[in-house]
Amino acid sequence: MAATSAYNSPGFDFSNTYRNQFLADRGVPLPKATSTGTTIVGCLFKDGIVLGADTRATEGPIVADKNCEKIHFISDNIRCCGAGTAADTEFTTALISSNIEMHALTTGRKPRVVTAMTMLKQMLFRYQGNIGAALVLGGVDITGPQLFTIHPHGSTDKLPYVTMGSGSLAAMAIFESQWKPDMEREEALHLVTLAISAGIFNDLGSGSNVDACVITASGTEMLRNFVKPNERVEKERRYVFRRGTTAIKEEKVRRWVVDEEEVTPVGGEEMDTS
Amino acid sequence: MDVSFALTGKGYVLVAADTTAAHSIIKVKSDVDKIKELSPHLLMAYSGEPGDTVQFAEYIERNIRLYQIRNTYGLRPQSAASWIRRSLAESLRSRHPYSVNLLLGGYDVSTYTPHLYWVDYLGTLAEVPFAAHGYGSYFALSLLDRYHDPEASLEEGIATLRRCIDEVAKRLVVSPGKYLVKVVDKDGTRVIEI
Amino acid sequence: MSIMQHNGGSVIAMVGKDCVAIASDLRLGVQSLSISSNFEKIFPVTERLYVGFPGLATDVTTLREVFRYRVNMYTIKEERAIEPTIFTQLVSSTLYERRFGPYFIEPVIAGLQKTPSGSYEPFIAATDLIGCINFAKDFVVAGTASEKLFGVAEGLWEPGLEPEDLFETISQTLMNAVDRDAFSGWGAIVHVITKDKVITRKLKGRMD
Repeated sequence: MAATSAYNSPGFDFSNTYRNQFLADRGVPLPKATSTGTTIVGCLFKDGIVLGADTRATEGPIVADKNCEKIHFISDNIRCCGAGTAADTEFTTALISSNIEMHALTTGRKPRVVTAMTMLKQMLFRYQGNIGAALVLGGVDITGPQLFTIHPHGSTDKLPYVTMGSGSLAAMAIFESQWKPDMEREEALHLVTLAISAGIFNDLGSGSNVDACVITASGTEMLRNFVKPNERVEKERRYVFRRGTTAIKEEKVRRWVVDEEEVTPVGGEEMDTS
Repeated sequence: MDVSFALTGKGYVLVAADTTAAHSIIKVKSDVDKIKELSPHLLMAYSGEPGDTVQFAEYIERNIRLYQIRNTYGLRPQSAASWIRRSLAESLRSRHPYSVNLLLGGYDVSTYTPHLYWVDYLGTLAEVPFAAHGYGSYFALSLLDRYHDPEASLEEGIATLRRCIDEVAKRLVVSPGKYLVKVVDKDGTRVIEI
Repeated sequence: MSIMQHNGGSVIAMVGKDCVAIASDLRLGVQSLSISSNFEKIFPVTERLYVGFPGLATDVTTLREVFRYRVNMYTIKEERAIEPTIFTQLVSSTLYERRFGPYFIEPVIAGLQKTPSGSYEPFIAATDLIGCINFAKDFVVAGTASEKLFGVAEGLWEPGLEPEDLFETISQTLMNAVDRDAFSGWGAIVHVITKDKVITRKLKGRMD
C-alpha cells in the first residue's frame, strides 16, 4: 500500500478507483466534487490589468465559505482568478506558480504571462477537462499588459475584458455596456467592482465581497475585500448559554506543561565524600 | 442469507453463526462451521459472498498463525482486528475485492478483558458490546440493546443469545435451522451446545 | 443515498478566546441500521491539535492510520511537532493526490498554532473530500448534519467565548443539529483545547 512506503511518487494516485467503482456498481452514487459558482473578471486599462473576484464558496446549495480567496498568486507580476472545482483551481495555480518560479530561476528572466498561460492550457488539455478549472490569467510583463481566459479543456482567449464562472453573464453585461479603451486606473477599478457586484447580486453562485488586484509595470496591488457590500450587522442579542446547561456523562482533562522552571536545589543533600 | 451474532459478558465473548450452506435456493449442507478459531483466544465468524468467505478466512487464519510462529507471541485481539480490517480495506482497492463480513471475538490474556469487533466488507471496524450480521441483525440488535449486560455470567449470556436465535426463527422468512455457538474466555475457545 | 451518508456522523469545530473546540457525534450506522454508539471520529494529532473525519467509516480508520504515519514521519524528520497550518496542508495534499479516486471524508481540523512570540492562537479549518481548504475565523462543519450545523452555529456562535462558554455553545449547536439529522447522534463528544489543557467531555443527549 502506498501509505506504508516512505517514498511518495508525484502525480495523482488512482489506487482508490477500483474500490470506488465497486461501490458505484453496488448502486451507491458517488459524490460529485464540490464545484463553486463564481464571478471572476479581468479588464485591460491604460497602464495594466485589473482582476476581480467575488468571495463565496458553495457546496451545492450551501454557502461553505463566506470570504474565500479566488485571486491566486502566480508570480510577482502575474495573478490568476479561478472558477470551477475549488480544489482544482487551488492546486493547478499553485503548481504552475512553482513551475513559473523554477522557469524564472532557470532562464534568469522575469516570467511572462504567455508562459504561465501555455503551462496552464497544456496541463488542462492533458487532463481532457477532468480538472475542472476555469481561469482568468492576467499580468504585466516585458511585452506589456496581458489578459487571458483558460477553459477547463485547455482552450484560451486573449481579450481586453473577460469574465468567467456562473456570474460571467451578469459581469459581461457590465463590461459590454461600459468598457472603453485606455481607461485610467480608478475608472477600471470601478468598472471591475461594478462587474463583480453584478455577479454578487444577480448570480446565486456568487456573493459576499469584492476582491480586486491591480497589476501595472510598477507593481502589483492586491486589494483583498476591496468592497464589502454584505457586512453582517452585529447581533442585537447574545445567545450564550448559562454554564452547566449541557449535561455531561464523563470528563477527562489532560494538562500540558506550559512553563518550565529549572530549580537547582541549594543546600540539598550533601554529596557523600567519605 | 447468513446470520451471525456475538455478545460480550463477564470475561467471555459468545459467537454464534448459522450452519447452512446454500446454493441459490437450495440448501446443500447444514453442518458448516463458519466460526474460525484464529488463535487460542480469538474467534472469527464470517459471512458474505460464498467462496470469498472461506478463501479470506483461511488467508487470515494462516497469517495469524504465521505471526505467532515467527514472534512467539500471537496478536492481541485489538491488533488482530486492526490487521484484519486493513487486509479487507486493501483488498477492496484491488480488481477483485473480498466481500466478507466478520465478527471478531477475542479474550485479551494480558488485560484479562473480552473484546468484540464488528467488521464489514468495506473495512469498517468498530469495537462493540454486541453485534450481528445478516438479516438476523434487524431482529437481534434491538433484543441485545434491551437484554445485553456486559457483566452477565455465561449462563445469562447464553440465555440472551437464545432469545436472539428464537426471535429470528420466529420472525425471519428465510431463517436458518441450526446454529453453531462458540465461546472464548480465559480458558480458550470451545463449542457450546445450546 | 450517497456514499457520504452510508455510515452517518458529523463534526464541528469552533474558535473561542485563546481556545478552540471540536466536537462530533458517536454514531456508526449502515444506512438506517445503527451498529455502534461509541464510534469516535476525532483523533489527537499533537498535544494541541485534533482532527475529525466525518464520512465513510472505513476511510475514517484508513485516514487515521495514514495521517498517524505521515505525522510521525514529519516529527522524526523535522524534530519538532507539526503545527496546525502545516498539518492542514498535509491533509489537503494527501486528499488532492487522490483527486480521481477520493477518500469519502471531509476532514475538520482544530488546534492552537504557535506564534513566533511563543504564544498560541486559535486555528480551525476544514477541507472537502478532494482537499480544498476552508480557513474560517468562526466555525467549520462537516458530515451528514452539516446543513443543520451551519444554521445553528450561525445563530449561536459569537466571538471571544471563554473555554467554558465555548463548550456550552458548541455542545448545544451539535446536539440541536444532530437531533434534526436521522444519520447523526447517539451520543456526542467534545474536546476543548486551551494552551495548558485539553478537556474532553462526553455529552448526555437523546439516544434515538
